[in-house]
This record gives sequence, C-alpha cells and structure tokens, in this order.
Amino acid sequence: MEFVVEEGKRVDEECSTLILPALSIGNVGQLAVDLLVSSTGADRVGYLDDPYLLPCVGNDAYGPLPCGEISLPLEVYESPSTATTLAQQRSPVAKGMMIKFAENIADFAASSGKKHVIVLSSLDFQRLHHNLDMSRGPQVYYLSNAEANGRDEHCERLGFGRLNEYDSEGRCWKYLCSVFDENCKEELTFPSEDELEDIDYYPSLPFAALFSAFKARGLKVTCLLCYCSEGDNIPDAFLLTRRSRRRFHSFLVLV
Amino acid sequence: MEDVLTENPPPSRFFQEDLNNFASPPPEPPLPSPFILFSSPKPELPLKPSLLIIALSSPSLHIFHSCLPSKTLIGTLIIPELPFSGNTVEPSLQDKSCNIYSLSDNNNENSVLLISVQLPVSPERSNLVSRLLIGQDIVPERVIILDSIQSRNFRGRLSPDEALAAKLETSSEKKAAATSRMNLDYFPSGSVIDGLSASLLSRCQLKNIRGTLVVSWPEFDPSVVRFVGGLLKSIVPGLDNKSVGKDLEMYSSRSGLKKDAWLDSDLYT
Repeated sequence: MEFVVEEGKRVDEECSTLILPALSIGNVGQLAVDLLVSSTGADRVGYLDDPYLLPCVGNDAYGPLPCGEISLPLEVYESPSTATTLAQQRSPVAKGMMIKFAENIADFAASSGKKHVIVLSSLDFQRLHHNLDMSRGPQVYYLSNAEANGRDEHCERLGFGRLNEYDSEGRCWKYLCSVFDENCKEELTFPSEDELEDIDYYPSLPFAALFSAFKARGLKVTCLLCYCSEGDNIPDAFLLTRRSRRRFHSFLVLV
Repeated sequence: MEDVLTENPPPSRFFQEDLNNFASPPPEPPLPSPFILFSSPKPELPLKPSLLIIALSSPSLHIFHSCLPSKTLIGTLIIPELPFSGNTVEPSLQDKSCNIYSLSDNNNENSVLLISVQLPVSPERSNLVSRLLIGQDIVPERVIILDSIQSRNFRGRLSPDEALAAKLETSSEKKAAATSRMNLDYFPSGSVIDGLSASLLSRCQLKNIRGTLVVSWPEFDPSVVRFVGGLLKSIVPGLDNKSVGKDLEMYSSRSGLKKDAWLDSDLYT
C-alpha cells in the first residue's frame, strides 16, 4: 500500500489518531467518516493506493454542487484542530483479500506514527441473539485491545457497551490473531465458508480483521459498533459519529 | 416503492461475500501478470507521448477503427487468462484485443498514442493493467479515457433516447488552461464509475498526470458516435471526420441494439 501525498499538501505528524471505516451493513462506518470529514473541516492530504482495493472514481463527495474534485477509492484527510487523520474507503476489497488489505493498512498506520486507531462499523441487527437494552436509547458498543478481554475502562466511563460476543479464544478470533502476528507459533487452519457458524459472524467481519491487524502491529485500537438493518442508515451514522467524537476527544485529553 | 428486502441492493450496498474475511481467496497459483508486447524493432522505453487516448466505449472504438487510417500498430497488451481464439491477423474491431497505436508525426514532437481496449478487464485485474498502461512503459503528459456510463452505478434515470456525456478530471487537468480542457459538465456527485476506466483515471491522479475521463450514454447510439467524433476532432491529428458517420446503422437504438462481435460469447468463436 503506497501513501501518495496530494500535490502541494504536507502531512501533519500531530494528527496521530486515525479514524477509518470498516465495510459493514448499511455502509454506516463510511457514512460516519463522511460526517466526520465534513464536520471537522478536514482537508484531504493524500491517497492510499492498494492493489486489493477495487477501483472507483467519482465527483466531490462533500460540496453541495458537483465541482469536479475527483474522489478516489481510499483517501486520507487531516483535521489538525482535532489532531485526527481520517481515512475514507469508497469501494470494496477484492473477494478473499480482506486480510491482506488489513495488513497493508496496519502497516501504513504503524509506519506513519499513528498512536491510536478508531474503527467505525455496524453490525447486523438480525444476527443479534439477545435483546438490546434500549432504555437509554440506541447503544454504541466497543471492542478494544486495552485489556485482553476487549474491555477498556475509558470506553466504560463513556457509557459504551462492551461487545460481549468477543471471545479471544474463539477459533476465528485466534485464527485472525495467528495470521497477523509474526511471532505466533500456532499453526491454525483457515476456516472454510461451509464450516462457519453463528458464533463466527463477528470475527468474519472486516472490522475484526482490522482490529486484529492493528493489534498485531502494537497500535492501540478501539472499534466502535452499532447494530442496524439495511435501509436509511443516516441516523445510525449520526449516532456513531457523535459517540466517536466523544471517544477521540477524551483520548486527546489523556494524551 | 421498492422493497428493501427483495430488491437488489443499490450500488453502495454490499453482498455478504464482500463483508466476509473468510471468503475464499483467488485460487493458487496466482494468474500470470499482464504484459505489453511491443512490435519489432522495440521502441525506446518508456514511451512519452504528449497525449494518450484510451478507448473503452463502443462509440470510441468505432471511431478509432473507422476514422484513423494513418495509425500504426506498435504493441499489444496481453492478459494471459483471456484467449485469442477468433482474433484476426490484421487488427479488427471484432477482435478481443488491447492494441496500442501511434499517431506520431514525423518529428515525434507531438506524439499521440491510442489504446483500443476491446477485451473485458475484470475489476480485480484493473489495477495491474492500468499500472502497465500508465506510468511504466508509457508515461504520457496527458490522458483522455473514453468510456460509457454504467447504469448500475448511476443514481438517477438514464433514458435510452437521450444522449448525455460528462467528465471527471484529475487535479492537474483542472488547473490547466480552460481552453485546453474538455468543455463538458462534470459527472454528478453520488454516482460512481468503476472498472478499468476508473483505475486508469486514478493512476493519472496518483501520478499527477493531466487526465480526463469522458463517459457517455447510451452505449450504442449514432448520436454518441458523432459526439465522440466531434470531441476528438480538435485533438487527434488525422481524424477523418467524413468517416465518423459511416456504418452508424449498427448503433441505431430504434432498430434494436446490435452489440459488437467482441462482446459475443466465447462459445461462438
């Protein structure tokens, strides 16, 4: 994966928190990143060129009128006021290459000095096997590598729900770990599509590959997730955006 | 109102396999990489044309073959997994090929290269192909890509009776003098272009090369052929304007769509 700086732009090394979407139901992660780019006034500073990303181009995604500013599949924005880098992904990864893609983007994050990565994603409401507690309104869930069981004290204080379905000893989570960790001596087999069960749903999603890849590179990573169904997912994107801003603002306070 | 449960998802949604880390990867061993075969004697590489025009759409391919008799075949792109069966010895519009032609004048100062893409390039192979065509053996100063609007990626109605065209440009093309740029409306926001033409324009943007992607609709229509001919008239030396209107009945939308033979199934080669 090559990072190409846009002509006339410079990278701000102070933008050490990286926020990016994971492809997910309803495109919620991508919609949320669009909202963050718009609301923070982030400026595009470059592009990531990856061989596993399918090609697409389009007109400017943010202005009210099509001004002809070209958009590419994977773009990097910076918001110095919030010290964040935002990567927006606009096209899918080639089938079967998600793990390679996750490895590449983790390499980019590590080599460019990122300290914290926040992955925004959604989860399929139909895959939920327990009732959601809606008494406090729509809930955002999290998965973090702060503790081995996925827990993060800071996220708990912010009122995010821990993703209880995360099981670091589950076979698919362990497989992802083994793929990205060069020091892993355990040889685990690739689970075939026919062998996958309900419990394997979460580690099969792109956010899980990204989480495991960033974790293996020694980066602090937090996944923020919300349940939704296909339809008008703009409200879900707003929910994720508001909560992610709380998360990375509080992280900045700690730093 | 469409039923969100039973209708195919709109272009921005995903299929299950797009969201599966454990979807089967491509089979081993991997496919051999595409490559360019240049005519003998092999030219000095990299080629540095002042203009590279890449035709992907049916109207632009028709114009390349019918209206540019003075072009010289200098090379061809080989995609190993695509068979040559049915191709003719002399380049033909019916071939499954990707030929590279030169329109150089005698002193080569304003060299123009044409690439006629007459074979299907999968999205997964597009990145490799676009790297070969732009930035390695061919390093152009300016690129024009001609493709058709893909209705599946277009948000809005496309009428089969109404021709339209739009463009996308790289940043360096936008900065160029207005008189040297294509006078077309921009492709609307919210719609996307994918595949090889998108990969080619992306490559131009990444390499800071002046690039324009012109997309037209419908795919087979005499008015679009005339439009593309008019567009190229001022920038392509030797374009035979009188031939632009030849054989246009094969593009008549009223008599039924007649696709070019190279779109036919391999079973009938």
